[in-house]
Formats: sequence, structure tokens, C-alpha cells
Amino acid sequence: MKALWIAATNLRRMFRVRTNYFFVFVFPMALILVLGATFGGSSTPRLGVVAQRSGPLGAALVRQLERTPHLRVVPVADPAALLTQVQRGSLAAGLVIPARYDAAIRAGQGVTIRYMARPDQSSQQLGETVRGAVAQQAALLGAARFAVTERSASSFSAALAAAARVSPAVPSVAVTETTAGTALFSRTLGQFDQGAWTELLLFLFLISLTGAVALIETRRLGLSRRMLATPTSPGTVIAGETLGRVLIAVIQAVVIILGSALLFGVNWGQPAGVAAVVILFALVGAGAGILLGTLFRTEQQAVGVSLLLGLGLGALGGCMVPLEVFSPTMKQVAHLTPQAWANDAFTQLVGHHAAITAILPQLGILAAYAAVLLALATWRLRRVLVA
Amino acid sequence: MRAAVLICLKDLRARLRDRSALLLGIVVPLGLAFIFNSIFSGISGNSKVISLGVVSLDRGAVAQQFTGQVLGAVGKSGLIAVHREHTVAGARALVARGTLNAVIVIPADFSARVQANRPASMQVIGNVDAPISAGIARSIAERYASDLNRIRLSVATVVHGRSQGTPSPGTIRALAARAAAAAAPVAVSDVSAKSKELDQKSFFAAGMAVFFLFFTVQFGVTSLLEERNDGTLARLLAAPISRASILGGKLLTSFLLGVISMTVLVVATSLLFGASWGNPAGVAVLVVAAVLAAMGIMALIATLARNAEQAANWQAVVAVVLGLLGGTFFPVSQAPGILSRLTLVAPQAWFLRGLGDLRGGDLSAVWVPALAMLGIAVVVGGIAMTRLRHMAEV
Repeated sequence: MKALWIAATNLRRMFRVRTNYFFVFVFPMALILVLGATFGGSSTPRLGVVAQRSGPLGAALVRQLERTPHLRVVPVADPAALLTQVQRGSLAAGLVIPARYDAAIRAGQGVTIRYMARPDQSSQQLGETVRGAVAQQAALLGAARFAVTERSASSFSAALAAAARVSPAVPSVAVTETTAGTALFSRTLGQFDQGAWTELLLFLFLISLTGAVALIETRRLGLSRRMLATPTSPGTVIAGETLGRVLIAVIQAVVIILGSALLFGVNWGQPAGVAAVVILFALVGAGAGILLGTLFRTEQQAVGVSLLLGLGLGALGGCMVPLEVFSPTMKQVAHLTPQAWANDAFTQLVGHHAAITAILPQLGILAAYAAVLLALATWRLRRVLVA
Repeated sequence: MRAAVLICLKDLRARLRDRSALLLGIVVPLGLAFIFNSIFSGISGNSKVISLGVVSLDRGAVAQQFTGQVLGAVGKSGLIAVHREHTVAGARALVARGTLNAVIVIPADFSARVQANRPASMQVIGNVDAPISAGIARSIAERYASDLNRIRLSVATVVHGRSQGTPSPGTIRALAARAAAAAAPVAVSDVSAKSKELDQKSFFAAGMAVFFLFFTVQFGVTSLLEERNDGTLARLLAAPISRASILGGKLLTSFLLGVISMTVLVVATSLLFGASWGNPAGVAVLVVAAVLAAMGIMALIATLARNAEQAANWQAVVAVVLGLLGGTFFPVSQAPGILSRLTLVAPQAWFLRGLGDLRGGDLSAVWVPALAMLGIAVVVGGIAMTRLRHMAEV
């Protein structure tokens, strides 16, 4: 019972500070939104296109580019702006369709389109995609021009109309595309799904680690001494502190899970599985936070170390870039962190709609982490409190 | 002046002793930059040669022109490595494993079908996780297919226009040969754009450095609040020290902590993991401007807070939001719409842009970003200064 009071006090101290709402709830949700908007879904290269006053044929070329798969066309006003955006990397590459493109082609002149790319390979490789789209339009333009030179049409415009009329009847040479291999990422993942669970894990752990700061404050203010002066055993104090941290983490998780489901339509999968991962991971975080709180003396030191560990282990555990793209060695190193196991569990739950039975190994390892960290934390805290 | 320097030295000593400045200013950013860099170095970002397989089951002229001339030219660029494979099954297995990004298959009757003016097709098999590479392979095949279609359509349009009944096969062959020789109406020329992007190592080093700079500079100004709470401010004011000296000492502490931690980070990341920051003079200008902008913003927030704890909380919120907007963790400039423009309210974005521009240009490239940061420093810092004078009262 006393442990519950201590836990409740922990909660009150946490949520009395208004800025904590920001770090616990608002900031993770904002990150889920920004990450989903920026990188969600597939990373389609963005091609900037300047097509000012290029006429109907210029517009047709832009439409051809827009139809090209794995390419997103971004209209840009002028070549100078295009160059800057390509250089700064906000566009993968750029294309300048000259003004009077339409008129020059109709007049039978040769037209040159400028393709701007950075020296890096992905930017240059996209040139092939652009050339492919240009060639598709050039099939029609070339046929029209040929008809003019062969004098079978009076003007280019008449020839173009004739070529367009004939085109559907001409048997074509086509290219078909299929895929091979098993996908690393589940194809059913929504735009915000992966961001939602990775940010949840990142911030659950980070906020749990800042429990260290609260614990140091408890000791600095003499709260723990006063508690022990009453007929309260160190075991009760420790149980209360742990319960408090776990409760904070669970509240945080519930808000982020419900919030992301309602606002961004994240489908979290089987509730029992999600609850199991969240509770075990909250226990891991509570253990780590309390242990950290017994190892440092000042709050500033604890803040620095919890930022380093929280963000560092989060990144290493696949909360910033998905584990799927890690090199094999880094993937092994990553699985030293509890985050990696929790990420694996969510990949199954959210990505593959697996049931809790499919993530038993991950749950077992998280439980082991929690047990070891809580045991260490209890042992250290008892020593610090009694000393 | 002497008093200001003494106050500054006292504060610096205190920060060194409790190690908090050392931790937040140097150890944490360095550690995180190292972790991010080691995770990402296993992931090839923008520099990967596409492995493209080709299986030609056709010995005809049309197929040979594709595998010889078209793919030959593609392979010469060094951007795409072309590998000849013998069986479709073998090539498909390599694609499935990811050894090849994609393979182009030319069926046995391709040349015969093309020459007989019948429908024909090439097949692209792409690795399921390499859609962009597969798309590029498809574009290469489509470019050739489009050229063949152009010849067919050229002949068909002319024949249709003449309306003299069905021409003889000889006439059609002659027309096709002339159409094939015709120059393409549209050419694509390459313009190389010098990169103004930071490479990965430098991006993480610079991003983490400027993110934590906002935490490092807060130690100076916020300590004014601490001194007020502890009652030492009253004693300082009672002494024959001007208020300007006290404020000057605090600001000097912030400035020195910022400049020193940034300098250590620039040198350490260059030596430890080969980050390249660019021209030292340009980097120095950007660092000083960023330190001043960070000081202005953090000082303003400190003046709005009631006590040191509240100041630290608000400062953390602002530093984190500006850090995220400024693209210190990932490039927000690639975000769609308003978000990419909103990034420029953050000095962090100007700092990173300045380093990128410095890399792709000459020294003069740093003036615009540096002036933007100084502008923020003057405006925000100016407001802070008028409020700070009230703070140095008990």
C-alpha cells in the first residue's frame, strides 16, 4: 500500500512540471508525424523539373515523367533555384526543359534538355530514368518529323496528329517488370507505422532513464531519508520507486499508441502482444533508470548520461534507422540492446500482424533484461539508501 | 572588465568541476556522432553502383545491338555494372538474393519478332527491395524499346500518309533504314551540379555539435538565476561591481563554453572519424555566429523563466524543437511543403547549410548563413538584453 503512495507521488512529481508533457507525449507524436511525412512509405527520388513556357509538348513530357514509376516530379520555377536545390540535396536531380521546347520541335530543330545531377551515384543513375521517359516521347516526335522529311505530311503538327492516330495500331515493343526475392519490409506497413513504434520505444526508454534524475533529486532533497525514518522498509521504497517509473512509462505508451492510432491511423496489431512488449520494456527502462540514478551524484550528470544512453542505445537498437538495413555485424551488435528485441517484436506485431505467440522469444529476452536490470537496481538502491 | 573576467573564470571552473558542461558540450555529442556514424557506415547511402544482369536468349542482331552497344555505353559510365548471365533461373536467383539489383531478359525470339513487325517484349526482374534500381533497369530497356517503336511508328505514319496501297517489303525496309538513321529530335545533356551536401560523417558530427551547442551555452546565462536563488547575486551587487560587469561575465562564460566545445568537437571529429568540416576560416565564422545565435535564444528564454529549473526545462524544449526543425538529426529540408521552409527559422539549419555551401563553394558562401544567424542573435539577443538588465536585480 505504501509502495502505491510512493508510486503516486512519483507520478505527481513528473506531471506537475508542464514541460514534461512536451517530452513525454507531444514531442514523440510530432516526430512520428514529421518522420512519416518525410520518409514514410517508399523513398521515391524527387526530380525537380523546370518547364516554364515550354508549350504543350513540354507539358506532355512532364506528364510522361509523372507517369514513370519510382519517380516523383517536383515543379521548380527557374534553373537557378533548381541548381541550388539539387546541390543542397533536397532534390535527387533536376531537368530543364527549355522555353520554346514545343516551338523548336515543331520547327524541326534539335532540342537539348539539360539534366542536372550531383556527383554522387544515385543522382547520376537517375539520368537513365529521365532518358527513358524522353525516349518514349521522342518515339512519337521522331515519327512525326520523319513523316515531314519523307514528305508524307504537310506540316509537323499534321504529322504528329497522324502519328498519334496510327500509334495504337502499330504492334509495340514492350518492357514488363516483375520482382524477385522476399521483401525486407512488410508491404502492408502504413506511412506512419514504423515511425510510431520506433519513436515509442525511443521515448519510453529515454523518459525512463530520466527517472534517474528524479531519483537523485529524491535523495538530494532528503525525501528518501525521511521515508526511511518512518516505519517503511527499504524494500517498500524500492518497490514504490519502480512502480512509479513503470506507471509513467505505461501512461506514456497508452497515450502514444492511442494517439497515433487515432491521429495517424497506425494499426498496432494484437493488443495482448503490444501490452506485453510495452510492460516488459517499461520494466527494462525502470530498471535502467533507477540503476543510473544510483550511479551519479548530480542531476546534470544524470541528464547528460541518460541523453547519451537513451539516444545512443535507441539508434543502435534500430529506433532511428530500421534494423533491416543494418550490416550483418551491426545487426549483431544491435541485438545487445533491449530496443532491438522490442523492435523485432513490433515488426512482427505491426508489420506481419502476428499474435503474441510469435514473439515469445523476444518477450523472453526482454523479461531477462528487465530481471537483471531490476535486480542490479534494487541491490544498488538498497546500498545507496541505507548508506 | 576585470570583474567580468573573474566572474567568467569562476563560472568556468565550477562547470569544469561538476563535469556537466564537459558531458553535454563534448562527451555526449561526440558519443552520439560516433554511434550514428558507425550505424550508417554499414548502409550505403548515395554511392552505390547498380549491379545489372543481362540474360540474352537471342542471338539475333536486334538483341546484340542492345547487349553490345546500349549496355556497353551504360556500363562505361561506371554508375552501373553490367553482368552477363546465362540462364534466367540463375539470374533470378541472384536477383532474389540481392547480388544483382535487377536483370534484363531478352527472350529467344526477340530479334525475329522485332524484324517481323510483331509485338515483342523484354522482361525486367528487379529485387523486391531495390525498386529504384529496378526502375532504372526498366528505363534502360524502355529507352531501347522506344527507339524500336519510333522506327515502327515512323514507317507506319509515312505509309499511312502516302495512301498508295500496301508498299512492297523492299520499300518498307528502305523506309525503316532511313528512320533508324534519323537523329533523335530531343537530346539530353548532362550538367554536373557541384554537391553542397555534407557527407555522412561530417553531417552527424556537425548536426550533433550544433544540437548540443544550445545546451552548452545555457550554463552561463542560467547561472544568473541560480545566483539569484542562492543569494550570491545580492552579494555581487552589493560589491563595487557594475551590473554590466556581472552580465558581461555571464555572457562571456556562455560564449567561451560554446566556442571551446565546438572547437574541441571540430578537431576531435576530424581526427577520430575523419569528418571534413571545410575551410577553417569559414568554419570559424559559422561557429561564432551559431554560438551567438544560440546564446541569444537561450538567454531570452532564461529571462522569461522564474527560476533556474524552469529555465532549464523551457530551454530544453526550445533546443530540441529547433534542433529537430533545423535538421540536426535528419534532413528536414526534404520534407514536403511548409516544413521544408519552416526549417529556416532554426539557426541550426543555417549552420548546416553554411557548412554545405562552404563545401560546394568558396569562402564567400558562408556570409549569407552567417548573417542569418547573426540576425537571429541580434534580434533575439537584443530583446533578451533589455530583459536581462531587470534580471540583475534582486
